[in-house]
Amino acid sequence: MFLSKIWLFLVALGAAVALTIALVMPRPAQRTLVTEEQRRLAVACSVIDILLADDARNRVELAGTFGRAPEVVGALENASAAEHLDESRMKQVRDVGETIMKGISGRKPDFAMLIDRRGRVVARVRLDQDDFGDVVAGRPLIDDALAGFLRDDLWAQNGTMYFVAAAPVIRRDPPVAYVGAVVLGHKVTNDLAKKLVGSLNVDTGFYLGNDDVAGSQAVAFDHGVLGDAVGKLQGGDVARDCQANQPFDLAAGKDEYTAVVARLPGEAQAHRAFFSVFIKKPEARGFMGTLHAVRQGDLSTSSFPWFLVADRPLRGLAADAVRLAKGEQERLREDSHGGKFGSIARSVNIHIDKVGREAKSARTNLDQLLGPAPEGSLGTIDLLSSPLPPRPGSVPPVSVPPPSDFRFGGEPAPPPPPPVAARSTPPQWPAQPPVTPPRGSRTPPPQPVAQAPLRLDDDILGGEVSGPIDPYFKQVYDQFISVKRSCNEPVVGLTYQKFAEKLVRNRDDLMAKTGCREVRFTVYVKDGKAALKATPVRDEA
Amino acid sequence: MFRAALSWLVLAPAIAGAGTLIGKLDLPPPPERPAVATRGFLDRSENPLAPVKPYSVTPELVVVLEGGETAMAAPQITWELVGESFARPVIAVPAGSEVVIKDTTKVARTLAAQEDKQLIPAGPINPGGTRSFRVTDAGRTYTIGDRDAPHLIGRVVVVASTLIGYPDETGRFEIADVPPGSYKLRVWYRDHWVARSDDTVTISAKGKTDFNPKLPADAFGPAKK
Repeated sequence: MFLSKIWLFLVALGAAVALTIALVMPRPAQRTLVTEEQRRLAVACSVIDILLADDARNRVELAGTFGRAPEVVGALENASAAEHLDESRMKQVRDVGETIMKGISGRKPDFAMLIDRRGRVVARVRLDQDDFGDVVAGRPLIDDALAGFLRDDLWAQNGTMYFVAAAPVIRRDPPVAYVGAVVLGHKVTNDLAKKLVGSLNVDTGFYLGNDDVAGSQAVAFDHGVLGDAVGKLQGGDVARDCQANQPFDLAAGKDEYTAVVARLPGEAQAHRAFFSVFIKKPEARGFMGTLHAVRQGDLSTSSFPWFLVADRPLRGLAADAVRLAKGEQERLREDSHGGKFGSIARSVNIHIDKVGREAKSARTNLDQLLGPAPEGSLGTIDLLSSPLPPRPGSVPPVSVPPPSDFRFGGEPAPPPPPPVAARSTPPQWPAQPPVTPPRGSRTPPPQPVAQAPLRLDDDILGGEVSGPIDPYFKQVYDQFISVKRSCNEPVVGLTYQKFAEKLVRNRDDLMAKTGCREVRFTVYVKDGKAALKATPVRDEA
Repeated sequence: MFRAALSWLVLAPAIAGAGTLIGKLDLPPPPERPAVATRGFLDRSENPLAPVKPYSVTPELVVVLEGGETAMAAPQITWELVGESFARPVIAVPAGSEVVIKDTTKVARTLAAQEDKQLIPAGPINPGGTRSFRVTDAGRTYTIGDRDAPHLIGRVVVVASTLIGYPDETGRFEIADVPPGSYKLRVWYRDHWVARSDDTVTISAKGKTDFNPKLPADAFGPAKK
């Protein structure tokens, strides 16, 4: 009798403990989920920051190309010499600008301003296009452009936000002289916001103070909360806002969101320009919700005790794969993984071994297949300089990640580097070769590129694309151009089209000769020059 | 040039028997271009076709003659807003003068002085409109700007003299109607007086007096305390 009471007590105690655990467990899980979501927000915010910087680089290049058009140079040179600007001149110059604007492929600017060397607007294209003759010198972007700098900025005009880029207009016939500047503006729109977050699974909005400017989703937030969050971001570098800012809760009607905010740079900062990144808060499931979410596999004996080891084998394999990707080990540790996970590890190792053998055997004859690179285009093609092909996920031998690493769509973006680093690297601006060598003791200018048709070449935000573009080849092309420029090599005539055609030919030759499934191209630096390495990849099946 | 639009409405007639001081500032190498006030997503980058223009210091220079015994009435000074900046970013104003800011742009501006919020009457200056204020204390400086346009900055330095000259792009300046006598020549740059030693100039009763002040190498550095 006595013993039965003890047993009853113990069973009741055990049941109470079990019930307590069952009721409490969803909360830590919920917290973990919320923490993960917040981390994802911060990453998305940084990625948007990088994408915007990358877009700025493309826009500035476009402005530079616009400003090098001979018609623009001639028109602004004549206007600069005129004491007064009249309407007929304005219309003539506006037509010149309009013609060039029409030739831009990809995302077209929403406005252009053509400014003479005195800082007067000779003509506007598309926005306020009947206004002319006013002086816009004094604005930092324009003063810098008139002085010879290329740069970008953000302007707020009539409740609209514009990403603007400016470039000097230079007469290249001797004597070389500044004759004006061009400014191109791209409006911040809902479409732009949607494209920014297209692959990030978050939403974003752009604001000027308490006014909505654009967003990927129409959500009416309490601007007071947003403003308070922005108000805490005082001083310092706006590029660090995504890291410095803590996610906060935000309500829109009955829906609850988690959001981060980051200030936008440029002139628009005077109008408290910022952007937000937000996601809907994950629902709090509670005990009953958790019960509903339980699946049969969660309760199988192989995963007992369920709450401790449910995903341990998967986490182990994932950690092993990460070590492999980092190069800390050459193969996966097959013996460390049981069941199906061990089988996966063995399959991966078999593939690694085969690729390694193929790489060694192919080293001797690939040079003949690919042939020498054409002068001034692909650079030196050096195949298989390393015994093993690069592992999937390994860092390519390029010091600076190319813009395409952060492109929308396609593969998800890798974890971003700190935005500060991305912004601190001055871009290399392409240009036509100068007619006369630069005066003084300036460092040699970046190597020029040919005057190609105007386009946002790496238009990450653009919609129109002329002809099919293979994302992989484009990525290799971007890397190659980036490395060539960093090596001060000319990139004259090296268009994506030519580059891709060369890669396709080499790929096809290599596939025909070796029977490989595909060919992977890697950009690296050899003897101070950009080089390209082709690696055959065989199909395991 | 539009920036030369600073005009004086001198209330007193030209002085008989007065001379003219002409000269050219001997300028040290210009300073590096200041960091961008409003940086975008990227740092600015030099174009590869031509050397960038050196930073122009002359719009921020003012030559002032102090001393002498002839008192002159304080003039009314019109200071124009041209485009996105003041016609001259720095002006010297005799104590007691009335300064009239005229907005010749197409944008309304709401201006205020950092040092004295009450100096300029509140409210926007509409395109074509004016706003005036009077300065009384010699030695004071005012930094005038528009909160909505951080790049729009103008400085007013109040001086105890009406003999003021503004150098052109080459550094040449001219101050007319200077009563004969000995004066102390001072040069103001942006926000401080440039420390110089050869600062006494004697103006003859008639004709032109040449004087070419030399500015020290550190003239364009930060103000010395």
